[in-house]
Amino acid sequence: MALRNTTRRWGVIAQTFHWVIVALLIVQVTLAEMADDLPLGVRKLSLLARHKSVGITILVLVILRLAWRSANVNPPLPDNLKPYERKAARFTHVALYVLLAAMPLSGWMMSSARGFPVSWFGFFTLPDLVPKNRALYDWLMMTHHTLAWVLFAVIALHVAGALKHHFVHKDDVLKRMLPFTHH
Amino acid sequence: MRYARLCLALAAALFAAATMAAAPPPAAAPAATAAGSHFVVDPAKSSLQFTFEQAGAASTGRFPRFGVTLDFPGADPAGGRLEVTVEVAALDTGDKDRDDTLKSDDLFAVKKFPEARFSAQQIVKTASGYEAAGKLTIRGVTRDARVPFTFREAAEGGVTAGYMAGKTLVRRLDFGVGQGEWKATDQAGNDVTVSFTLRLTRAAH
Repeated sequence: MALRNTTRRWGVIAQTFHWVIVALLIVQVTLAEMADDLPLGVRKLSLLARHKSVGITILVLVILRLAWRSANVNPPLPDNLKPYERKAARFTHVALYVLLAAMPLSGWMMSSARGFPVSWFGFFTLPDLVPKNRALYDWLMMTHHTLAWVLFAVIALHVAGALKHHFVHKDDVLKRMLPFTHH
Repeated sequence: MRYARLCLALAAALFAAATMAAAPPPAAAPAATAAGSHFVVDPAKSSLQFTFEQAGAASTGRFPRFGVTLDFPGADPAGGRLEVTVEVAALDTGDKDRDDTLKSDDLFAVKKFPEARFSAQQIVKTASGYEAAGKLTIRGVTRDARVPFTFREAAEGGVTAGYMAGKTLVRRLDFGVGQGEWKATDQAGNDVTVSFTLRLTRAAH
């Protein structure tokens, strides 16, 4: 199992970035949904504190992942893609990176605008990105929720594309991101 | 009488001298009278704040309505008494949801316990200033407390002002501020630092 990418396959490190972020996204949505249903209290604050910490973790992983990507050769899109498929692929990948950064950033800003500094799992406190401002908080809350829906839509496209490659084109696009599959 | 004018002049001089001697000295810092000093807080130029930890990050709030009286027999607070009363329901952390939660029954329970009080019958001089030893009552629970502070007097245009500053650590659970789910301290820390910067003015008893 190679750590680095080749032109044919994503390396272990790239795969780890991908699937860890997938897992953390599932955790994020779960924490947010659980917190949303609760009235203001210790339980809600506790879930939101964890949601914020996981969010910052995702932000850091996305930055590291982009750095790793730029320092590596990356498996190209298959040759036989139609132009629209090529555009769709590039669009979803770029959109995913943008949204995966925009989500934690908007959340962090939202917390700053509320006047609740973000602590990473209680180890250290992050600086406030924006000044305290209730109107800004309300707007960022709406933005954060809206971007979440956009992210879900792009993920759906991404998954649909991966499945199409696997089951319709029968190429190795999905396989090369899966651990434990050799080809 | 040949000396009448001289007598009158002498009498006038004596009378003038006596009057001047009896007049109060020009205003410098008036010394404490035999009855001691009684200082009262000037709310407009005073602040009472608290710092707490929320979800691991530091936050501050203030108590905008409180009263302070400081009485001492000698030239400085040593040997004096300090009374502080705080209107807890007026607390302000800059966030209405948080303030409402703090005032609720499981935390400060302001409907039942609208006032917090610090009553110190003993003030001693210390290396860095003074220390008031007394009873602190929050949410109906009274415990001993020692509060260090600095104090200096200043003459301000005919008024004697006293400047007092200090801080103390209060553990909210010691006073039952945190019942039910709020007994947990990971979201709302147990340690709260209360700090004050006061301007007091010397008043008549």
